[in-house]
Amino acid sequence: MSSLHSLDIQSLLAGYQKNDFSVQEVAKSCLEAISKKNPQLNALLEVSKDRVLARAAELDQKKSDAQRLKLFGVPIAIKDNILVKDWQCTAGSKILQGYRSPYTATTVARLEAEGAVVLGKANCDEFAMGSSNESSAFGPCRNPWDLERVPGGSSGGSAAAVAGSLCPAALGSDTGGSIRQPASLCGLVGIKPSYGRVSRFGAIAYASSLDQVGPLGKTVWDSARVLEVISGWDRFDATTSKAPVPSYSDALKESTLKGLKFGFCKSWLEGVDPAVQKAFENSMQLLKQAGAEIVEIDLPYTKYSLSVYYLIAPSEASSNLARYDGVHYGFRAPEFKDSETLYNRSRGQGFGKEVKLRIMLGTYALSAGYYDAFYLKATQVRKMIQQDFSNAFKKCDAVLTPTSPSTAFKLGEKSDDPLKMYLSDVFTLPVNLAGLPAVSIPCGLDDLRLPIGLQIIGRPFDELRLLQMARVHESLFGVLKHP
Amino acid sequence: MVLLMLSKEEVLKIAQLARLELSPEEVVFFQNRLGRVLDYMKELNGVKLEAAATVRHVPEDAEPFREDVVEEAFDREAIMRNAPALDEGGFSLPAILESE
Amino acid sequence: MTDLNNKYEAVIGLEVHAQLLTKSKMFCSCANQFGAAINANICPVCTGQPGALPAVNRQAIELGVRAAMALNCQIRNESIFARKNYFYPDLPKGYQISQYEKPFCEKGSLTVRLKSGEQKQFGITRIHFEEDAGKNVHASHGTVVNLNRAGVPLIEIVSEPDMRTSHEAGQYLRALHSILQFGDICDGNMEQGNFRCDANISVRKRGDSKFGTKVELKNINSFRFVEKAIEYEIERQIDLVEKGEPIRQQTRTWNSSKNITELMREKESAHDYRYFPDPDLAPLVISEAWIKSIRSQMPEMPSQVLARFQKDYALSEYDAGVLTATKELASFYEQTAAQSKNPKASANWVANELLGRLNAAGKEIANSPVKAQQLGDLVTRIDQGEISGKIAKTVFEEMFLTGRNPAEIIKEKGLVQISDTGAIEVAIDKVIAANPSQVADYKAGKVKLLGFFVGQVMKETQGQANPGMVNELVKKKLD
Repeated sequence: MSSLHSLDIQSLLAGYQKNDFSVQEVAKSCLEAISKKNPQLNALLEVSKDRVLARAAELDQKKSDAQRLKLFGVPIAIKDNILVKDWQCTAGSKILQGYRSPYTATTVARLEAEGAVVLGKANCDEFAMGSSNESSAFGPCRNPWDLERVPGGSSGGSAAAVAGSLCPAALGSDTGGSIRQPASLCGLVGIKPSYGRVSRFGAIAYASSLDQVGPLGKTVWDSARVLEVISGWDRFDATTSKAPVPSYSDALKESTLKGLKFGFCKSWLEGVDPAVQKAFENSMQLLKQAGAEIVEIDLPYTKYSLSVYYLIAPSEASSNLARYDGVHYGFRAPEFKDSETLYNRSRGQGFGKEVKLRIMLGTYALSAGYYDAFYLKATQVRKMIQQDFSNAFKKCDAVLTPTSPSTAFKLGEKSDDPLKMYLSDVFTLPVNLAGLPAVSIPCGLDDLRLPIGLQIIGRPFDELRLLQMARVHESLFGVLKHP
Repeated sequence: MVLLMLSKEEVLKIAQLARLELSPEEVVFFQNRLGRVLDYMKELNGVKLEAAATVRHVPEDAEPFREDVVEEAFDREAIMRNAPALDEGGFSLPAILESE
Repeated sequence: MTDLNNKYEAVIGLEVHAQLLTKSKMFCSCANQFGAAINANICPVCTGQPGALPAVNRQAIELGVRAAMALNCQIRNESIFARKNYFYPDLPKGYQISQYEKPFCEKGSLTVRLKSGEQKQFGITRIHFEEDAGKNVHASHGTVVNLNRAGVPLIEIVSEPDMRTSHEAGQYLRALHSILQFGDICDGNMEQGNFRCDANISVRKRGDSKFGTKVELKNINSFRFVEKAIEYEIERQIDLVEKGEPIRQQTRTWNSSKNITELMREKESAHDYRYFPDPDLAPLVISEAWIKSIRSQMPEMPSQVLARFQKDYALSEYDAGVLTATKELASFYEQTAAQSKNPKASANWVANELLGRLNAAGKEIANSPVKAQQLGDLVTRIDQGEISGKIAKTVFEEMFLTGRNPAEIIKEKGLVQISDTGAIEVAIDKVIAANPSQVADYKAGKVKLLGFFVGQVMKETQGQANPGMVNELVKKKLD
């Protein structure tokens, strides 16, 4: 049973039902895979063997729950910007080194209530600011498909843990593409839910009006199953919707594309890698063959997404990250002469460069004299981007784009120019700005056998149909065999 | 309106507002980076808007209120354990300069 | 100073922070409670832990809407919570959730009575919601932060700069305080910091339309100090202008032992709070239906109670005014009157005897040693003739000093009024026998000597004889 760690959720649940293996066996298999592969991948920052095995033993005692619980005995990695009581939570930052979560995030509490096992805390870009996992204070994470390359970011550790078969699924967070882009670069299914579908309580805020927690898995079914467990209204998050949560995984059986229209925007494909373009066109053919119609749409304001995003997200971040001051928790600079230097040094030494850049960018955009021209203008253009999509959804049921303009790039390749890095999220940013749900699914491999992702963007709270579309594509394209 | 490169003074002013102590090298680094990004964002100046409305991102069916009930649902000790310094049961730091 | 006061006028605006009477905090379920052990009432939300989010307390909004109604404000159906960003150890999130561009209400007014008898209306610019900060406590090794108060709900009530004298400012504050108290919106406890006042003061030559440079007076914790501090500040500023010196934009504080205002800080370069809408909270929607339902549950306001006291208890406007000065006093009076079934006499006892005695002892009605039931009981005993009004004052003093019941005191000290005809007659006979010449004078027509005899009898009975009966019996004996 040495390959238990590489089974997907569906196979694990089936195995438990048939009593093929125990939760402890699965947990041990994952822990072994971690000790073998994690030193290279640096996907997980904290793994507590004792806690994992104790939890597995506890679940094995309640075997009868295997029928009832949706994620019974499923080991899941949690991005290190989501709190799990008593586990560390650093958000990839030195400023939170040693911080022990005093409470558990709603999403994790829901996973645990359905029998999941928290396996470890996954590496990520510092405060989820990055697209390569290189801004983590605890070292970059590597792509299991090619160790010289990045797994994407910011949920790079989550993606690498699943693609590297350390565990079947992981939670990530997505503010501008941080689940979908690493899912794409690592050949996974990653879902960014509609804003307000999933609770943010206990997920460390980067940009509150854009952040959503979501799953990364190997199959559409796996990700759908995790999504239905974590979704739904939460009294601790006043931005969550009260809309009922359908059983996404069960509904996949009824997947069809008959009568559905997909929109695509020709201008978006300019400057995209040829291999990505080819895979994208191939996917459109597949969907057409399955009965869908493809229509061209226009999203005129989305070309400003990068500017809008990099004003709104840093503005919110500059305020969200004000709490890291060395007074109440977290890193405190060793030397200071008064409270003023305590603040400035703790923050100056505790944050990395990219985080400081965005804090300053946001501080600037909100400051007197610049607010109207920067922050306010950005929120107004954001409204137009949202409008673009609602107009598009009058003509189609979903929008197709490549997830990322390129496949996984090499470590250090894009770190000299912030805009080069920011452009790797050009297809995913508008989705967060408009609050829409989107999924990234594998749709090809390039010449270097690096995964390519297809992004399907749905109407608000239309996750069910979105996942059915993804499922049809998956049934035609297949599931990638992970390294 | 925006210069390609911010002045040293501008960077230091922003850093002070954000309570970030920067090394001299960092100041130069951020002069360049901030300048580069802000320059790119100048594209928004020319964007014509149909109406100057801002976005509502919170779903319409979100529950806006909590009832006025006292609960002790969280572990207070776990919060205090993360404090970098405690004194007489409070979060401790050097005497505060009267600047606020 | 009178000449100068004619030459100059002061412009005063007040900002009041009132803590709302909720059970829990503004954005989390921690207790809103004064006096708990340090950092006892804290949770991830109010300590600004990573990942924690605010959830608005519905009751806090209702209380704010009550205040808006009581102050005749226009309520905005959709207002915005904004973040006010600044760094301070008592502010764990690094920002305070407040309201900025679109507060929940604006454009109200408050009418107050001045000592001249004149009524004057002052404008309310706006009221907005915000959360309180924690408290920085000076400890042996620098500062320690107590976050019990962090996140407690507040409303900030900002007046127009409509006041011209310290008396007007004082009356405005008293009226506002009373409205918030009567509305069960804020307990008004100034010592605990639940009702805090900042004043903006400037002076200008009469007739000028431009405002002078304003000075902010912070954290003044009693009505009397507010008046004294403003008075002092006006004179200080006039003095500077007369000397040709500039008035600097400053924040000052009242030193109540020296009776002066002192510099806290010079106004440094304007704060840049970088306000923006809080993305964790949807716009605050206060629907017309909700407003209507809040209106229907509105507690009685001071002006309504005043009118009712005049009507139901036949009190003078003056007495009713005195008795409705605070909610506690009004309710004390109502309990006293209910007990005694004599509203008029109860009003006298509360307004004159009790308030005078409390004042002399430096005490508030809330910690009066004499309770309303006891005072009502005392009034009843006078009405039933058990004790005389004069004796009652002795009994009251004893009640005030010991907190004991009147019955107990009357019994122990043997103060029960003598209403037994026989006993009184014995005393009268004694007095008649001892004063033969006065008796003769009386019989000769000097009837005003009656008072002398009554006085002697009262003395003989140590004041305990029923004076009405003494009067009657003396007459009967002598005639």
